[in-house]
Amino acid sequence: MTAIRIAEVARSFGAVRAVDRVSLDINEGEFFTLLGPSGCGKTTLLRMIAGFCDLDHGAIHFGERRVDTVPPHRRNAGMVFQNYAIFPNLTVAGNVAYGLKARNVPAGEIGARVARALKLVHLDGYDERWPHQLSGGQLQRVAIARCLVIEPEVLLLDEPLSNLDAQLRVEMRREIRLLQQSLKITAIYVTHDQEEALAISDRIAVMRAGRTEQVGGPTEIYQRPATRFVAEFMGTTNLLSGIAVDGPVGGTAKVRVGGQDFALPAGTARPRDAVTFSLRPEALRLIAPGEHAPSGWHTLEARLAGVEFLGVLTRLDLQLADGAPLRAATLDLPPEAALRRERITVAYDPQRVTVLSKP
Amino acid sequence: MRIAAARAGFPLAVAAVAFAFLGLFLLYPLFGVFKASFLDPTGVSFTLDNYARVLSRAFYRASLTNSLTIGLGATLATTAIGVPLAFCLARLPVPGKPVLLALAALPLVLPSFVGAYAWVLLLGRSGIVSQALRAIGIDGVSIYGKHGLILVYTLQTFPYVLLPTLAAFKAIDVSIEEAGQNLGASRWRVFWTVILPVAAPAVLSGALLVLMETLENFGVPFVLAEDMPILAVEAYKLFIGEVGGNPASAGVLGVLLVACTTVALLLQRYYLGRRRFATGARRTPPELVVGAGLRGLATAYCWGVVLLALVPFFAVVALSFMEYRGPVLHPGFSLDNFLRLLDRSQRPLMNTLVLASAAAGGAALLGVPIGYVLTRYRSRLADVLDIVAMIPFAIAGTVLGIGLVISFNSGWLILTGSPLILVLAYLVRKLPFNVRASSAILHQIDPSLEEASINLGVSPARTFLTLTVPLMMGGIIGGTILTWVTIASELSATVVLYSGPWATMTVVMFQALEGTSAGAASAAATVLIVVTVVPLILVHRLLRRHEMSLL
Ligand SMILES: Nc1ncnc2c1ncn2[C@@H]1O[C@H](COP(=O)(O)OP(=O)(O)OP(=O)(O)O)[C@@H](O)[C@H]1O
Ligand SMILES: [Mg+2]
Repeated sequence: MTAIRIAEVARSFGAVRAVDRVSLDINEGEFFTLLGPSGCGKTTLLRMIAGFCDLDHGAIHFGERRVDTVPPHRRNAGMVFQNYAIFPNLTVAGNVAYGLKARNVPAGEIGARVARALKLVHLDGYDERWPHQLSGGQLQRVAIARCLVIEPEVLLLDEPLSNLDAQLRVEMRREIRLLQQSLKITAIYVTHDQEEALAISDRIAVMRAGRTEQVGGPTEIYQRPATRFVAEFMGTTNLLSGIAVDGPVGGTAKVRVGGQDFALPAGTARPRDAVTFSLRPEALRLIAPGEHAPSGWHTLEARLAGVEFLGVLTRLDLQLADGAPLRAATLDLPPEAALRRERITVAYDPQRVTVLSKP
Repeated sequence: MRIAAARAGFPLAVAAVAFAFLGLFLLYPLFGVFKASFLDPTGVSFTLDNYARVLSRAFYRASLTNSLTIGLGATLATTAIGVPLAFCLARLPVPGKPVLLALAALPLVLPSFVGAYAWVLLLGRSGIVSQALRAIGIDGVSIYGKHGLILVYTLQTFPYVLLPTLAAFKAIDVSIEEAGQNLGASRWRVFWTVILPVAAPAVLSGALLVLMETLENFGVPFVLAEDMPILAVEAYKLFIGEVGGNPASAGVLGVLLVACTTVALLLQRYYLGRRRFATGARRTPPELVVGAGLRGLATAYCWGVVLLALVPFFAVVALSFMEYRGPVLHPGFSLDNFLRLLDRSQRPLMNTLVLASAAAGGAALLGVPIGYVLTRYRSRLADVLDIVAMIPFAIAGTVLGIGLVISFNSGWLILTGSPLILVLAYLVRKLPFNVRASSAILHQIDPSLEEASINLGVSPARTFLTLTVPLMMGGIIGGTILTWVTIASELSATVVLYSGPWATMTVVMFQALEGTSAGAASAAATVLIVVTVVPLILVHRLLRRHEMSLL
């Protein structure tokens, strides 16, 4: 197990600052994800760690060992490539044995280690197959086995699942996570898929234009986004802005937006602060006529402007008093009667409102 | 500071070897030619006298204008022939297309001066066709002079225009054409306003290759120009000189030749760079549905051009099996020509095989790593290397030969008289092709394979040798054989550099041209044709798979 320390690393391509002074401390055995939109520098950062991209500035350490000055073939950082990069001129066993041969592992030992690695990724018996005889998912497993068999200090994965179909993607990401946990290896995973990042990671760094926007655990990133960018990138949300005034109860504050008052969690804003906050659609609950909102919750009146049925979810487009839009989502289909009315009531727990620290 | 040294060892080593080699055997000899042309007879002070002296003579001024007019004439003619040919092959239902395509590339590899000689056998003063024409009262048909040169060049170099233009036509996505029609343009209008402009850079880059090739060519004008001065030939004559060579004047013509070809090369690179927007069709355009008349016309045109280009080669092979008494041809099958040739020319044949193999092997050993570094390790140093490695394209074989002799006939390294100087000249001349072919192969291999190997702990140099080279092997073999074939028929540097026992088959042929023995010359021509065509047939499938041609 190896901790990875990335300090102030930067790299520009011409005028593009692909990675702009990023610092990260990744713990031993952690599954760490770099998440961000296309072109934000995830791949560049990962390739810097692997040694395929030179640094303009900064340093990278694996544990106590400084690696950014070490040639890539001596870094012992196993990488799984987006397109698998399976050697087409070698069999499955040949591919997996490749790194062992480079390390001059005795021939007798190679066979056993290859077999063990293939078993680990459920490919026992595929030794003598050629890459062109394998499916995408199987190739991905070979790539992982080939990487793990050399017992790398860290595991680097660049969008390893993006070439697989949706169902296989879910299956493989679970397997990758289980493997990583059982081997207790430090892993850095790159993806632009927020759901994948949330599902698989111990911690996530959300990147934007070469910088880290926020670093934290999945629930923290999702529920307490620090910036508007993170809030929006992590899924549909309502982003609202206004000036805080005194709340009804001591210590709480409320904000008037769109002709409605919104309650903020206690202690998150002082009167006369300009605040921007995020309220996730699924935090809003439809209150049927005659029903009561849970105690401590806050209610809103709104006009129902549209309903979108998405299977597991139903999305409601609401309009506040002055026409400002508000999105809500409920699991399953709400009662027919509730949707027939034009004016409806929704409620939310003020604790689910996140005031952005860096609007 | 960028910490680049971590992975720069291998590319730096390759670049160092490449620069050392090209510096010594390309730039230094070139510098020698320049120096000779700019130094006074004492050899110490700078002077423009040599230029004044050479250019004051109408004869040498004419050599420049002749070379340029003939070059431009051939360039226009190949374009006029090549573009319609490309369109027919890309879009019209012409029967026998695969065969046609294979044959169409052939004129580029067949030895050009053999072709020129074959035309003389057909249309020369005592050529069989001219004699037949004279018998029915048509006189004055001649293959000699400007028109003959342009005709022969056109038929030999049209593939330079055809192949890239064909690729460009095929690379234009159908949707572009459909969009044009959808917006209300007729097919004809779409062709002129969309398809042709998109293909234009490819056409121009091919046409400029024709210009370079015709400017540099030595053998064809040697056979066909007669008394008309041509740059490459006059440079050679001045250098070899019957009454002692004149390196200064030869240098002047050499520098003029290099100046012309360099301009052509720079323009060619410029248009090649602009070709990119034409590539990458997701749906190649389908064949057009046309009437029987147009179809017949297209078929006759395509087969006509391609066969006309190959006719002289068939003819010379056929003639070589006939009986000659002196220069006079007698009908009747005979192997005499070959027996006589074999008597005298076993050694030259061996020389050709040995020298071509050594040079082709050397070009692969040097060219493949250079191509690899240029493709995979982009950097400022690589850009410079790229330019230097392309310079031989613009250097006529005659000029390189002269430079090598000037530089290595005395001093610390004497190479004249040894076969090594021939091998080095071939190697330098064919290096650009090898480098480009290697880059092309590498573009088909995903670089992440190499990264995966390095990531697994194999050093970059070992990754190149144990992973990349095996993956490239088919392409490397194909490219090396193409190189081999063109070296076997190299003439322009060979005639300057060969010495005594190291004469090659092309030299035998060359000497036979000067003599009167048409029988021996046609037999030598046949041997050269066989030496080029047989290896190509053997690796034809390999070349097809790697989409490799001489371009
Ligand atoms: N070799 C290169 N040369 C020039 N620019 C580059 C190079 N590699 C990356 N860039 C630029 O650096 C920026 C970051 O690229 P990077 O590949 O790291 O993005 P990414 O986050 O991995 O995106 P994606 O999700 O699309 O893979 C982009 O603007 C890209 O164009
Ligand atoms: Mg990427």
